[in-house]
Order: sequence, then structure tokens, then C-alpha cells
Amino acid sequence: MRVALAEDGALFREGLQMLLQAAGHEVVGSTADGDALVELLSSRPADVAILDIRMPPEPDGGLVTAERLRALHPGLGLLFLSHYAESHYLMRILQIGTEAIGYRLKEKVGSVDVLSDTLARIEAGEIVIEPVLAKRLVERPRADKRGVLTTLSERESDVLRLMAEGRSNNGIAAQLYVTPKAVEKHIASIFGKLNLHADTAAHHRRVLAVLTYLRSQRNGE
Amino acid sequence: MTLEPAHCAGDAPRTPLERGTDGLSRARRSERDQWLHRRRLERQLHDGAALRISALALQLGLVRHQVLDGEPGVDAAIDGLQDELHAALQELRDVAAQIYPPLLDEAGLGPALGEAVDRLGVAVRVDVADGRFGPAAEGVAYFAVTGCLEARGAGGDEVRVAGRREGEVLVLAVDGVDERLAEPAFDQVLCLGGTVEVAGGRGAGTITARIPCE
Repeated sequence: MRVALAEDGALFREGLQMLLQAAGHEVVGSTADGDALVELLSSRPADVAILDIRMPPEPDGGLVTAERLRALHPGLGLLFLSHYAESHYLMRILQIGTEAIGYRLKEKVGSVDVLSDTLARIEAGEIVIEPVLAKRLVERPRADKRGVLTTLSERESDVLRLMAEGRSNNGIAAQLYVTPKAVEKHIASIFGKLNLHADTAAHHRRVLAVLTYLRSQRNGE
Repeated sequence: MTLEPAHCAGDAPRTPLERGTDGLSRARRSERDQWLHRRRLERQLHDGAALRISALALQLGLVRHQVLDGEPGVDAAIDGLQDELHAALQELRDVAAQIYPPLLDEAGLGPALGEAVDRLGVAVRVDVADGRFGPAAEGVAYFAVTGCLEARGAGGDEVRVAGRREGEVLVLAVDGVDERLAEPAFDQVLCLGGTVEVAGGRGAGTITARIPCE
């Protein structure tokens, strides 16, 4: 896969570059800020761009840069890395796009397998969300959602958490060692209990519906 | 009822006459500098130790890849080391959040309070105007509200937190809390030259703070 990256911390940037190369990816270039990344990608095509959220142009250069990149290169996958997993940033990221986009903690992409899996899912058009954040959204929901979420069975909670990570039915099935058919049944039951009416067949809309549900306040936000 | 001035960090005689060239009293200036200092410390943790440890986690991942066909014990040892690094980073995040929450620095009072409320699991409605109020006013407001909510604990009716700008003042109102929570939580507001008023009563009072801002 062809990958471009922008990160202002030299040590981390170099480490990531080496890990990407070890994983067999082609690093088409790396920059220390967002503007330089836009410039780089105007002449060197890539499949996925990796961006630090907190980098120049300050304060959150990764997000502004990603907005520009999505407009310039709609087919380019975007992976945000940050030291913090905040639902505030997750919502801003989902405003930039709900396809081929990901948000992970910096230290959690520290293996060839995880890094490659994350990039492959993004290249395939999926949403990838840091498991720690997905877990927090499901386990510590906003006060008014807590009652409904306790009506889910343990298995349904697992499925909801994996959905909030952006995983596809097949991905969820593989994680839980069940059939995709069983996953579909769980999802239908969860959507019934949460009173969500999204098209469960459309992956992006389904993930978005789940995340919006977990994040939104009672009177809307 | 209005709160009386408290003891403030870096305090000295708090007379309005004692003003520097920027028109601020010495005590208020020193208070503001403390918040700038806290914000700097948080950034230093983020750009220094945290980034260095994150890079170490990547380097360990690289080592694992290079010795892939080596001893199975090495793989487990690297797993253990990476877990330790993740735990160290989480501790750094917890410390940073108490010094100056990074989201407060980057995104402002509304988003930072929204995130804090989610983590506390308290039923709170946050309605803070967009825009920035400067690091000192935002820091004081953030810790006053979260301190108040932590002391209040979970359960009970919904609390409402509202923030808006009136000229050079951030008006912050916390509605639906015990008035006795005002004093410990909102002390810092007085240190920054603001005022705190409480109305209502036990259980369902309103605390209104007026905080000078940028």
C-alpha cells in the first residue's frame, strides 16, 4: 500500500516510517505539518494518508488538513493518530467523512499486524475507531442512555462495542467466533431495543447511527 | 449571597490600587500566569515524554517484526513491555488531565466540559457559547464546574451548565446543585478577580460566576 504521513514529532514520525516499511508498505513521503502533506500529495499519489491530529497548522492541523485532502483526493483513505482518544474528535472526524477513515491512539498501532489491519480496513472503505474509545462509549454512555443499554444482553453489548469500532458483520463474526448470520440477528435485536431505524445493510450508515446514538444528548446536539 | 475573597496562590495584598502596566492587579496577573504555566506543562508532557514513549512502542513493534522467527519467549516479552508502555502513557494522560485538559486547550470550554461530563457519568446539560475565553478563565471555569460535579456525585435531577460572554466577562451558571458546593469549587474564580453568587438553596441552587476573560 502507498502511504503518506504527517507528524510533527520527529522521533515518532521516523519510528512509524520504519514500521510501515517493515510491514511492506511504500512510504511515498513524510512531512512535519499538514500544509507540506497537501503539497506532497499533489505530486505523489497515495492510498492512505496518516495524520497526527495535533500538529501545525495549530491547533489541530490534522483535521483541517484532512478536510482539504478529502476535497482534493476523495479516494484517499485517512488515518488520524492522536495521543488522546476523545469522542469530541471522533465526531469532528465523522463530519469529514464516514468512509475510508480511521482514528487510533498512537501507541496502539505499534505492531505490524495492527498497523496493516488498520490500513487495510481503511483502504477497503471502512471506518476504524480506537477500541478503547468504542468501549468507553458503550460502557459509559451518557446518563440518559444508560437505562436502555442495560437491557442489552452481554453478547449484544459485545456486538455493539465492535460495531462502534466500525467493524463489518464479517469482522464482528470473526472476533466473536460466531457466524455472520448470528451477528445480523444480534444487530437487528440491538437496533430494535435502541429504537434505531437505520438501514442495517449499509455499513457506514449503521456505524454512524450507532455512534450518533451513543454520543447525542436527549434533546439533540 | 456572594462568596468572600479566598486565599489565592501567589497572593499578596489584594488592593485594586496595586496595578501593573497592563492594568491588572498583581494577584490577578500572578493567577493568570499560573494557568499559562499549567497549560505549558501539559504541552510539555504531550510533546516530550508522551511522544517519546509512543515512539518506543513503535520501535518495540519493529523489533518484534525483525525477530519474528526467533524465540517465542521474545514475543511474549515484547507484549509485556508494550503493555507497560501503554499503562505509562495512560498515567501520563491522567496527570495531564489534572494539570490542564488538552481538549480545553485545543477545543475550548464547551467541548472539554462535554467530554468531562461524559466520563463522570452525571446527568448534565452543557450549553456553553462557542468561542474562546483565554487559558486562565477557561481553566478556572473548567475546574470549578468539574470540581462541583465531582463533589455532588451521581444521581438526582439534571444539572445545567451554561456559559456565555458578556463583554470581557465569562458568565458561568451551574443550575441544580447544592449552594454549599460553591465555596470549595469556585474559590479560584475569586483569585482571578471574578465574583461568585449563589441563589436558591440546598439541593436545587444556582451558582453564578463572573470571570474576567480575554
